[in-house]
Amino acid sequence: MSAGADHGHGSDFVPRRFVLAQFGTSDALLEGTRRIREKGHKKIDTHSPYPIHGLEEALGLGRPKIPAIVLMGAIAGVCAAYSMMYYMNVVDFPINVANRPGHSMPAFIPITFELAVLLGGSSSFFGLLIGLLGFPEPYHPLFELDSFKKAAIDGFFLSIEVPQGGNQDGVIADARQVGALNVEAVEESER
Amino acid sequence: MTVDVQKFQGGGGWMTKAGALGVVGLGASLAGIAMDTQKALFSYLVAFSYWAGIAFASLILLMIFHAFRAKWMVVIRRPLEVMAATVVLFVLLFIPIVMGMSHLYSWVSPAADMGAEALKLLAHKKPYLNVPFFVVRTGIYFLVAIFLSHRLFGWSTRQDESGDVQLTVRQRSLGAGGLPFIALVISFAAFDWLMSLNPLWFSTIFGVYYFAGSILSTIAILIILTNKARGKDLFGDHVSVEHVHNLGKLLFAFVCFWGYIAVSQLLLIWIANLPEEIPFYVVRFRGPWVPVGIFLIFGHFFIPFGALLSRNLKRTPKRLAVVAGWLLFVHFVDLYWLVMPTLSPDAPLFHWTLVTSFFGVGGLSVAFAIWRMRGHFTLPVKDPFLAVSLRYRQP
Repeated sequence: MSAGADHGHGSDFVPRRFVLAQFGTSDALLEGTRRIREKGHKKIDTHSPYPIHGLEEALGLGRPKIPAIVLMGAIAGVCAAYSMMYYMNVVDFPINVANRPGHSMPAFIPITFELAVLLGGSSSFFGLLIGLLGFPEPYHPLFELDSFKKAAIDGFFLSIEVPQGGNQDGVIADARQVGALNVEAVEESER
Repeated sequence: MTVDVQKFQGGGGWMTKAGALGVVGLGASLAGIAMDTQKALFSYLVAFSYWAGIAFASLILLMIFHAFRAKWMVVIRRPLEVMAATVVLFVLLFIPIVMGMSHLYSWVSPAADMGAEALKLLAHKKPYLNVPFFVVRTGIYFLVAIFLSHRLFGWSTRQDESGDVQLTVRQRSLGAGGLPFIALVISFAAFDWLMSLNPLWFSTIFGVYYFAGSILSTIAILIILTNKARGKDLFGDHVSVEHVHNLGKLLFAFVCFWGYIAVSQLLLIWIANLPEEIPFYVVRFRGPWVPVGIFLIFGHFFIPFGALLSRNLKRTPKRLAVVAGWLLFVHFVDLYWLVMPTLSPDAPLFHWTLVTSFFGVGGLSVAFAIWRMRGHFTLPVKDPFLAVSLRYRQP
């Protein structure tokens, strides 16, 4: 690795900035999230020790994309299973079993169904983990904040990413205005 | 939370119309039986098993809800109770089948041309397949179903007056405890009424197949009802899109269930390929009956399956009702496909009494259901979980 490339990487780095707002109750978090979104903040996320009803609506997440991924996985499973069995039983190695035709639909149904379920199910798991949750991502700038540990215990947090070139103080003021008890800011450090 | 409804007194127009249609249709069917006995009786059996199956399946769905202590469905429970309570009407509608048994079931008086082997097998099955025991068994089926539906409907309407929570406990106990009995009832009813049309053939899953189609039709009727039953004192006004979504999911589940059972029955018989098990499919897999079977595969499974995948469709009551109506039609074709090949193995047969019997039996059951509904609330107004049901949201 040359020094020039290293230097170039360093100059391209623009740290992401986050504002972390802590709320006292889950209801306050819901209300605060709704209002912060009304103020026009786009990149927001919430962190709470347990799932809270109505948070999807408050975050404006819309419908999940999982069903489409699962449908594609299931269709792929159907195609793969049926063409595999057709190729093996008709083209590659036909065996006469009790004089049934090589291409016997009733016998193909269970495996077609099973592979559709298998690929549909696993595509929901991996599609969610890798495609939608961004796995693996072991680090996030919010982890720098000590108070963020409470998100796994008793803290209700709303994090807002400050847009590039945006005014961080304005975001902090907005967070205070919607009822946050405690507001902190953090900047991504270069690794 | 309370709902502002009075006891239902309307529906008189519908009751008269349905009742008149039923009487005219039944009269025409009876005339048809007098003219062309066998064809008309087979048609009548299709219509009878269609509507009776819906009444039995309504009872089962109601009991499943009670067994699971479901709360979301309280607002749509009353129509189910009423549909289950129509089961008593089918005792009367069963009379033509008892009268015409010798024309329907070849085991009543086996013809000599069936062959020595078949006659020997039928003689072996005589202790089960004989007329008195058949009638007694059907009587037992109706007694069990009438007892269960009468108690559940009675307790539920009594709670409308008293609001006694103990009645909910009783309904739930009976719903759970009665399920094994009613499951055996519908299974054996299917064996007796439909499967014994081919007395030498047997399939242990046949009762489940009949149940799957029937409960699908029950849910379809519930969906159409919640669409139509809107207005003064009617429960439809209190049903939200969340309830309709759940009904759509149930419809979807039972479309899959029907397909699963249909494949299970076919696969085991097809793969074993035993002479005593295959006649049912041999008739239906050859010649002109093939298009009916293919229509069922697509109409009863693939098309509704694809349509019901859509969340949007399940949350649009009017479009869901179209799918429900379609499934009510294909269930009739399904029963036609079960019954008719016995009478006419060489070609699909359409007899005009199919239409008159369908509307005859159907009109009378609808009129009877509306009559049972009158004088009661269209939703259980004092059920302890009505408020939970009314504010139900998708999880």
